Amino acid sequence: MIEIEDLTYTYPGAHRPALTGLNLRISEGEFVLVAGPSGAGKSTLLRCLNGLVPHFTGGRISGLITVAGHDPVAEGPQVLSRIVGFVFQDPRSQFVLDRVEDEIAFGLENAAIPSAEMRVRVEEVLHLLDLAALRGRTLTTLSGGEQQRVAIAAALVFRPRILVLDEPTSQLDPQSAEDVLQALVRLNQDLGLTIILAEHRLERVLPYADRLVYIPGPTESQRNVLTGPPQQVLQQVELTPPVVALGKALGWTPLPLTIKEGRAFAARLPLPPGTPRAAPSRRSGSRLHIRDLHFAYDGREVLHGIDLQIAPGELVVLMGRNGSGKTTLLKCVVGLLRPKHGEIVLDGHPITGRHPAEICRHVGYLPQEPDAMLFADSVLEELRVTLRNHGLQDTPPFPPAALLARLGLEEVADSYPRDLSVGQRQRVALGAVTVTRPGLLLLDEPTRGLDYQLKRQLIALLREWQAEGVSVLLVTHDVELAALAADRVVILSDGCVIADDAPQVLAASPLFAPQVARLFPGTGWLTVDDALTGLGVRQN
Amino acid sequence: MPDVRTWLLWALTVLVTASRVRNPLYSILTLLIAAVVELVCAPHRGAGLPSSFRFGVTVVVLGALFNGLTAHLGDTVLFSLPAQLPLSGGPVTLEALVYGATNGLVLAAIFSSFSTFNRVTPVRDLVRLTPRAFHEAGVVISIALTFIPQMMYHLDEIRDAQAVRGHRMRGLRDWLPVILPLLTGGLERAIGLAEAMVARGYGALSNRRHSLRTQMFLLVGLMGVLVGWLAFLLLPQWRLAAVSGMIASGGLIAGLLWQTGRSIPHTSYRMHRWTLCDSLIVLGCCVTLVSMFAPLPFVNRKALYYSPYPRLSPPPFDAVAGVGLFGLLVPAIVVKRGAADDRD
Repeated sequence: MIEIEDLTYTYPGAHRPALTGLNLRISEGEFVLVAGPSGAGKSTLLRCLNGLVPHFTGGRISGLITVAGHDPVAEGPQVLSRIVGFVFQDPRSQFVLDRVEDEIAFGLENAAIPSAEMRVRVEEVLHLLDLAALRGRTLTTLSGGEQQRVAIAAALVFRPRILVLDEPTSQLDPQSAEDVLQALVRLNQDLGLTIILAEHRLERVLPYADRLVYIPGPTESQRNVLTGPPQQVLQQVELTPPVVALGKALGWTPLPLTIKEGRAFAARLPLPPGTPRAAPSRRSGSRLHIRDLHFAYDGREVLHGIDLQIAPGELVVLMGRNGSGKTTLLKCVVGLLRPKHGEIVLDGHPITGRHPAEICRHVGYLPQEPDAMLFADSVLEELRVTLRNHGLQDTPPFPPAALLARLGLEEVADSYPRDLSVGQRQRVALGAVTVTRPGLLLLDEPTRGLDYQLKRQLIALLREWQAEGVSVLLVTHDVELAALAADRVVILSDGCVIADDAPQVLAASPLFAPQVARLFPGTGWLTVDDALTGLGVRQN
Repeated sequence: MPDVRTWLLWALTVLVTASRVRNPLYSILTLLIAAVVELVCAPHRGAGLPSSFRFGVTVVVLGALFNGLTAHLGDTVLFSLPAQLPLSGGPVTLEALVYGATNGLVLAAIFSSFSTFNRVTPVRDLVRLTPRAFHEAGVVISIALTFIPQMMYHLDEIRDAQAVRGHRMRGLRDWLPVILPLLTGGLERAIGLAEAMVARGYGALSNRRHSLRTQMFLLVGLMGVLVGWLAFLLLPQWRLAAVSGMIASGGLIAGLLWQTGRSIPHTSYRMHRWTLCDSLIVLGCCVTLVSMFAPLPFVNRKALYYSPYPRLSPPPFDAVAGVGLFGLLVPAIVVKRGAADDRD
């Protein structure tokens, strides 16, 4: 179905190729997962399959690509659109119209497909992706998962033989991501559609993938693209999901990819008695104290009497499904939203009703979209802008150059921030809100779109700050991150705190339990290190 | 759901009624009717009031204040401002405030026609209103229409992001940290959308150039209209010939556009059929227009115009014209609640 030989591609103005001598062969009906660190060239490879690279991007390309007998480089993306359906990371960025049905039919109208046939095709994809009930809805009223299914439907309406998806679940909560993946599995198994999907969170997709293509990053010792059955490729990859990492550490063969496969091995292990991970001791003192906080949008209350306390140096993870009120709570703390009732106290001083600029002198808030912050000519200047805003340019609490070094950004200090990678932009924004050396950090989904390596770097950075007494309130859907980083976990549901406990509370939650907790229920283990220590494989 | 042309007629009727009437009672009635139609027919979007209603309150207050402070006419003096104050110095009268509020109500009613039309009509239907020869321009307009709410959302996001870095909006220069990421982000999203459209095959069939002959005829047509218009203005004795020339040239342009439109391959997913619902709305619009503006012997058309000067008196009200205005309420009766959005 797809043959790639010796593919090398360089973006215009780039000094080194994004892809070098890549060879790949994909058969019809395969479900292929493309993995690799940020900047490895996953998106570039996907865009080569339908000719967006080089037709849309420009640049130099060499080698041979054949897709269902067509040459995307010669024929271009418009011709290939009939063979390759393409779905991008953010569904909202690819919508042209405002209603579900109209959006799906848009491509067909422009291709002058006769009305009768168009109706049949639209009906077909509406039912295939469970969208029939949403056909008349405006797109802005849909959830992230529903929007992504509309984007898939809009690509499938041409009846392509191949569906290519570039991180389609990276913006979604676990349940929505699962809905999208289940839809893809149906398309693959029932219709024999070839699916090629790039994703950072391997644990989400591995259970469904027939084959894994791993593109190593420029800094990895392994330089060749690895391709084969997931078990085989993952043996050679360093950063893997917890169940795989545990399987590799304990020598389980064949390597388990799913909890179900892992349980078969885990059940054979004799679990030592009294092995639960010790819950971190509650720290004393109060950095942030929220009392009986209520907030309403247009008269509809979304936070109902929130009580929350965070001690100095404590890292609290705030979890909950989309719409549970997590971001609203953070915005109330920094003054972007005015609570209806309740009190917020920071280091003993009430801050309710104060201007965000005043509050954020002492609180660092990283919003979900860090790009909204970046506008200066250089990374260093971004940090100086914040200092100037607070009148601290002459006496910076954290010298900008030193902070950049700590964030691993010293080499790009003079670069234009928007030219940097996702992970680097994230860290620039983090620098911009922490250069005032705040005592409290509020991070809203800071690991969205980050690979395993970048996540670990972020956790290490947070640990350093914690050691200096900085408190962190981290909002995330990523249960593995919560298991690794949290001193305490708070779960919100429908605007109420339903759990506020040690991280072990996650182990009992069917929605938020990390992979290790699912493998060893009742042990209280959450991470690979917990399990290896508990099993006596590694010393604490 | 009614046809887009039906909605267009309804919006135009509201527009004509709102702009021709200078009586606060009729303006308030028009505003309320448009708000009810928007509430009933537009997709749901939370518990808030329609945007036209909130805009209306703001415009009425501002209109009253502006006129009250700048027009010092009327007998009922509420208070006086020092004469040395530029423009606003002098007596502030009740009549001037009422006159300003009446103008505000007219503006609000005009805005409500656009607002409701925009809320009840899917973007796709707006594209259908553009002639086929301008299909690509129609797509651009539809993208712009879907981009505007997105841009407003990003504007809020950026203002918040800058505020948490200690940024405060004090003067024009302080808009720079907001405008720059908005423009850069907008450009990035535009490129992303273009990429997505190309990946969906957009433009595969429309990359054809118009023939030289078509372009020449179009130029001749435009020149014909221009020459005819100049002749009409400058040569009174040739006016008939000038008008004939303009009509002929206009016909040539229309014919060329029709022919060009036919050569653009494009099909429509939504096949709208004229329904009883459309007929009833058109009938309602006709009732309103006739009762308000036709020279009917039993309608006092003077009641449509009201001036509070020189001394405030109650505005007149003609019951027939008032009842006729309720013809605009027909969509709220015949269209199912939230029909533009099937989520219920």
